[in-house]
Amino acid sequence: MPLLDIADLTLRIPTVEGTAEILNDVSFALNRGESIGLVGESGCGKSMTALAAMGLLPESAQTRGAIRFDGQDLLRTDEAGLCAIRGRRIAMIFQEPMTALNPVMCIGAQIAEGLRLHLRLGPGEAEDRARRLLDRVGLPAPRFSPQLYPHQLSGGQRQRVVIAMALACDPDILIADEPTTALDVTIQAQILDLIASITAETGMALIMITHDLGIVAETTERMLVMYAGRIVEQGPTAEVFARMAHPYTRGLFAASPHAAVVSVGSTEGRVRLAAIPGQVPDPVHRPAGCVFADRCARQTEACRAEVPAAMTVGPDHTAACIHPVLGEVPA
Amino acid sequence: MTTFLWRRLVALFLTTLAATLVVFLVLEVLPGDPAAVMLGVGAREDTLAALRHELGLDLPPVQRYFIWVGNLFLGDFGKSYTYGVPVSELIGDRVMVSVPLALFAIVLSTALAIPLGVFAATRHGRGADAAIMAFSQIGVAVPNFWLGLLLILLFAVKLAWLPAGGFGGWDNGAWAGVRSLILPAVALALPQAAILARVTRSSVLETLKEDYVRTARAKGLSREAALWRHALRNALIPVVTIMGLQFSFLLAGTIIIENVFTLPGIGRLIFQAIAQRDLIVVKDLVVLLAMTVIVVNFIVDLAYAALDPRLSGGGDEP
Amino acid sequence: MSLDILREGRAKRRIGGRNRNLWIGGAVTLVLVLTALISLVWTPYPVAGIDIPGKLATPSWTHPFGTDHFGRDVFSMIMVGARNSIVVAFVAVGIGAGLGIPLGLLAAARRGWVDETVMRFNDFAFAFPALLSAVMITAIAGPGAVNAIIAIGIFNVPVFARLARGASMSLWKREYVLAARVAAKGDVAIAIEHILPNIAGVLIVQATIQFALGILAEAGLSYLGLGAQPPQPSWGKMLNDAQTYIYLAPRLAIFPGMAITLAVLGLNLLGDGLRDLLDPRLRRER
Repeated sequence: MPLLDIADLTLRIPTVEGTAEILNDVSFALNRGESIGLVGESGCGKSMTALAAMGLLPESAQTRGAIRFDGQDLLRTDEAGLCAIRGRRIAMIFQEPMTALNPVMCIGAQIAEGLRLHLRLGPGEAEDRARRLLDRVGLPAPRFSPQLYPHQLSGGQRQRVVIAMALACDPDILIADEPTTALDVTIQAQILDLIASITAETGMALIMITHDLGIVAETTERMLVMYAGRIVEQGPTAEVFARMAHPYTRGLFAASPHAAVVSVGSTEGRVRLAAIPGQVPDPVHRPAGCVFADRCARQTEACRAEVPAAMTVGPDHTAACIHPVLGEVPA
Repeated sequence: MTTFLWRRLVALFLTTLAATLVVFLVLEVLPGDPAAVMLGVGAREDTLAALRHELGLDLPPVQRYFIWVGNLFLGDFGKSYTYGVPVSELIGDRVMVSVPLALFAIVLSTALAIPLGVFAATRHGRGADAAIMAFSQIGVAVPNFWLGLLLILLFAVKLAWLPAGGFGGWDNGAWAGVRSLILPAVALALPQAAILARVTRSSVLETLKEDYVRTARAKGLSREAALWRHALRNALIPVVTIMGLQFSFLLAGTIIIENVFTLPGIGRLIFQAIAQRDLIVVKDLVVLLAMTVIVVNFIVDLAYAALDPRLSGGGDEP
Repeated sequence: MSLDILREGRAKRRIGGRNRNLWIGGAVTLVLVLTALISLVWTPYPVAGIDIPGKLATPSWTHPFGTDHFGRDVFSMIMVGARNSIVVAFVAVGIGAGLGIPLGLLAAARRGWVDETVMRFNDFAFAFPALLSAVMITAIAGPGAVNAIIAIGIFNVPVFARLARGASMSLWKREYVLAARVAAKGDVAIAIEHILPNIAGVLIVQATIQFALGILAEAGLSYLGLGAQPPQPSWGKMLNDAQTYIYLAPRLAIFPGMAITLAVLGLNLLGDGLRDLLDPRLRRER
């Protein structure tokens, strides 16, 4: 049984201008110890998917479908039940390390808080564990004492503290929502390495949410591509990179700076980044049929008739497109 | 932390000095002849001369200033012209009324405002929030002396539960004194509470949007736990600062309320002194009150530094 | 990103006519100002009209608010009192803004020791609430409306100074200011042409709030006898008189107090409404 099984998750949020369709029929599974990537541009719904799993959606959110964690449907669990799971079995780290920590509480106390809440550790024990967690995330004594306050740490250091807090109760799943976007490139690599070593060591499952294909390539075994609230392609990372089928995924890759680096050997000098023409549709006014059709070079009448179902385009690799791009990605 | 404190201490000292200077200039130098002011228009020349001599007005102003300030620091407030007793004695008695009144009002307003503000923030957008905000708007607009009158109307005239004025006196037992202070303290406290409740509410609302509250919830804390353990301490920092700023308004309010309820406090004393043109008392009291505000603001700065480790922590910023 | 939709919607609602504060506050303030203006040319009864036999009358068709202990028509006195309150509060705001805004702009423009001095002065001025200043002035010059104006005005100065300084601080570093300085434009011209229009919004909102506070302060001062002197009617003085008759005619305390409360409430709501109106526009400018 998969550890986390999301089935036909649909999320709507009422707004002044109408009902926003944030997520539509999102389905995927996460197995124990697996690392998957959730890729897409800002606003595609990847963060909301994670928040839905954590039960941290705004009050006005209307959900349908199921999010089964170890058999338990999180959408039908009450708040007390969700509090018991958050931090203890599913942990989440966010994008902005500079504001993620309480400025008036020392970092040791913030790390120990989860320990005392979920594991009922006494103050002394919790402090010891916090100290060891700080060591584990690369903030050794005596330079990094638990008595330090967040403002005394840099962005990268704060993110390490955030990771320590997430690890504290040995969760089964770690959700990382753009954990390195706000950090310098060199620090990015360090943080990603840290996350990788931790997941390897503890056997935690990882959901890496990002818009950066490079990070997906490095840190995940499977990946899901999201667009306008739907999953448009999913499969093993290597497989998807080799044989991207959905036009959007190809467009994403072509538009990514990494693509320019990869396609060395072009005789035309500097490679220009290819932008995807058009804009992401307004969540309140999603088009009928395929959400990507308006921006797609391969669109036909049939694309707008109905939402394309996921078609198999490779081993364990599906794409929601009736005109998938078959064949290898040009080197 | 120490640099911050030293700077505030120096500011405290300088501001107090400036206050004494201004009071001196306005009340002794500006009127030209303080003796004439005190004795009024029809005074005879020899009485005026005698008074001038007694007040030491023969000396040049600069010298008078330093003598006066020096005496203030030594606790010698001079002698009241009208009562003939040392001003410090007069102040001593009155302080025993004004200070408890002010403290009573502060406690009442804080105890009312902060829970209300937090409650309104947690019920944001719903009926309770709107109701609390409406009451707060009205509370801010109601003059405290009118509120005092209405309270007297209800509790003293109609119901006769509490005295309409006057001070029962601490000598007659604690309850007699407290009884006389209840209505005045409420009249003082309610408008303050109205302001404080709004400030608390908006501060809590802002804090609840902060990322670290989301982090706390992601760790498994319930909404209430996240509010109490993370949001509140941060939210209260600006509230404490506002309380400090409100203190000078509280002081002005005490002066009025003491007159509404005829309480023998500092406020009444100032008024009687003005009516009797006793400039000595007026000078001393104005400086005293200004100093109180300055000192309270200093204490608020201390509290601010204590609450926010970003101010008290040493360097070490990366 | 979807949460932004929620926020935008809320903001649009505020700007587009659901700004209740603005309408209610504006209406009440308008009533206040009109009452004061009308009182200049007409009141139901002359406010000096003493009528001892008709004193302490209960409200009736001839005297909607009744009469006071001298037989004067309370309604007329409220009208004239409105005029008094408005004039005092208005001039006081004028003094505060007229002196405070230049000070604040100067501090923000020059920084350094000029800034420090202005800040120290501000701290110091906050220690002297309007009441205390009024006390001092009255002690040497006797009571009167002018004293009230000066005292309240003095206290308004640091409020506007602090606001002008804070609001303009970042603007002085903008490129168009630097460009203007290169073109040898004086700071005063820059202030008028570039800085003031941008901070006008916050200043107007604050002026409205200070106006309301001025009315409250004036009422307090005249209650204590430090404001407008009889026979000039003032709301505060009416309340003081009412207190003497609190056992005989408690209703006398109601009307002046309500007048003050409504005036202040109206102005506060207007200020809040203006702030909501101007806020998103201000942010767009930045």
